[in-house]
Amino acid sequence: MKITNGKDFWAGLMFMAFGLGFMIVANNYAMGTAVRMGPAYFPTVLGGMLAVLGAAIFFRAFVSKMAHPLVVFPFRLWFVVGGLVLGVIAYYTQVPRDGGTVAKVAHELLAGVAIGLLFAAFGPRALWVILVSVVVFGYMLKPLGLVIAAGLLVFGSAWGGHEFKTKEVTILFVLLATFSVYAFVKGLGLPMNIWPGILE
Amino acid sequence: MELFTNLALGFSVALSFQNLFYCFMGVILGTLIGVLPGIGPVATIAMLLPVTFTLNPTSALIMLAGIYYGAQYGGSTTAILVNLPGESASVVTCIDGYQMARKGRAGAALGVSALGSFFAGCVATIVIALFAPPLAEVALKFGPAEYFSLMVLGLIAATVLASGSLVKAIAMVILGLLLGLVGTDVNSGVARFAFGVSELSDGIGFVSVAMGVFGFAEIINNLEQKGSREVFTKKVTGLLPTWQDIKDCTPSVLRGTALGCFLGILPGGGALLASFAAYTLEKKVSKNSAMFGKGAIQGVAAPESANNAGAQTSFIPLLTLGIPSNPVMALMIGAMMIQGIAPGPQVMTERPQLFWGMIASMWLGNLMLVVLNLPLIGMWIKLLTIPYRMLYPAILLFCCVGVYSLSNSPFDVMQTAVFGIVGYIWVKLECEPAPLILGFILGPLMEENLRRAMLLSRGDPLVFFQRPISLTMLLIAAFLLLIVVAPAVRKKRDEAFVEA
Repeated sequence: MKITNGKDFWAGLMFMAFGLGFMIVANNYAMGTAVRMGPAYFPTVLGGMLAVLGAAIFFRAFVSKMAHPLVVFPFRLWFVVGGLVLGVIAYYTQVPRDGGTVAKVAHELLAGVAIGLLFAAFGPRALWVILVSVVVFGYMLKPLGLVIAAGLLVFGSAWGGHEFKTKEVTILFVLLATFSVYAFVKGLGLPMNIWPGILE
Repeated sequence: MELFTNLALGFSVALSFQNLFYCFMGVILGTLIGVLPGIGPVATIAMLLPVTFTLNPTSALIMLAGIYYGAQYGGSTTAILVNLPGESASVVTCIDGYQMARKGRAGAALGVSALGSFFAGCVATIVIALFAPPLAEVALKFGPAEYFSLMVLGLIAATVLASGSLVKAIAMVILGLLLGLVGTDVNSGVARFAFGVSELSDGIGFVSVAMGVFGFAEIINNLEQKGSREVFTKKVTGLLPTWQDIKDCTPSVLRGTALGCFLGILPGGGALLASFAAYTLEKKVSKNSAMFGKGAIQGVAAPESANNAGAQTSFIPLLTLGIPSNPVMALMIGAMMIQGIAPGPQVMTERPQLFWGMIASMWLGNLMLVVLNLPLIGMWIKLLTIPYRMLYPAILLFCCVGVYSLSNSPFDVMQTAVFGIVGYIWVKLECEPAPLILGFILGPLMEENLRRAMLLSRGDPLVFFQRPISLTMLLIAAFLLLIVVAPAVRKKRDEAFVEA
């Protein structure tokens, strides 16, 4: 047996994993009967269908006439392992609500690194650099304000592309930050602070 | 005539200062994102959804609709001048449009596509006004069994018409249905698949899925493939087509419009499919088919009319049945729900201002678009000289602000980033995300109608085959599946998608 179509191979595995995963989790809910369906009924049926289709795609990978290599995109296994390990540690070391600020920040950094590693495990550099910038923007918008968060996003994502010209990106940042402040906060009245919360 | 009183009502709504303003904003934005490659109507509408909270429902929907058909106009400009589809529905316009531009006939190509689109837009508006009311009347008689079968038909049609592997498309639909079920079950109150995350008990955000899969994944794919583009930014002259051009194009525009109107109504249809089909048809029937691919003006006129007609008539299933036929319409359902309107046949009777106002605004919007696109073409061409490396950080920022303001929480931004990765993986594995989005929006509706139908029939699944309308729809769905599996059609279908 030889895998001829790498894309079908991975897609089949993915669909099977999703299908079985939904079925297993749905097992925790009430099944009900065909007349009075419980919350588990529909997802279990769909999960089963998905797993079967996934299996069909998986086996097609061995007989397919279309040839695709098994390595479809860059994948770094150690990043996944590291991210999962850190994620589990972060899950079990949650700081209680009344915990110290240092402990809280340290815990959040740990969680952030875990997430970052998981993002960085797939695809080209552009993918993880851009998506990590996006996540950083999301979590920094409230504490640092729109201008600084936008700066992090613009510089971060521009660095993820092919060409990075500091002067050009700086001009872009100034234009975008001004536009966002006037259009989103002043114009549309979205509830966001412009500068870090401490300053206002 | 009831039609005229209805249309008069529509125009009185659409001509109010506020609605005119939002229609104008919609078509300007639509043209803008249509011209700019790398951002499509799905990401834009998703980005603007939070903004529409504050508007009244009619203005909000008028603006969002304007973005969709406006993008069809803008997309052709980029296709003709840069040989890049500014919008996915103008992929086929690149073939002949760019060749015309290289021969120095860019002006004629732009002129024909704008005028053809305008004609198609006018016809499509009339088609909606004529066909939507009777369809809504039929839909009012639908019970849960009919709705369930209709959704099955819609989803099957979406997979049949998608490009690529049929099995993968069906798997994506089912995955979408499953993802749509995440969150609190309305009947039992159980938070399904939430894993204790409180944000997930409200379900996965639709905007996050759409923006991650279509917006972020698209940007990353664009960055991955470096390519140089040659832009014809020199003065574009001779926008008005010559008499000979008009004579050459008229039949193509008529055929494109008819095909577009028809394909737009089909579940799974819309602008993209219409433009592909129109180009293929035109190549078959045209007298100078040898010229196709070398700058045939018919090869621009037909798909451009078809995509605009299809974009507009795809509102028919949305407004009459409450069923989205493509991802943009799925977002429109989201917009209606934000405003507290349940999409379905009752919209027309309960909110005639909204329904007829939107239809009238489409005609006005098309008029604005011709004015925007023909004399102001120079301004849009200037935009094309902005390099992509300056554009994508801006797109990302606007997307992020939009997602964040959905519920003012970083969780949504995180969720979108996760779907960005997942979307990237799907593209690489050749799994089309469009069917998934339809499944995602229909998941809860489908479960609800299945439950009701089974409750009413006391658990007898034969109910779907005993009711005539339901049976018809299931038969059509089965027939669609059968013809795709048939080898001859399969080959044709592959060819049609490869040609573009």
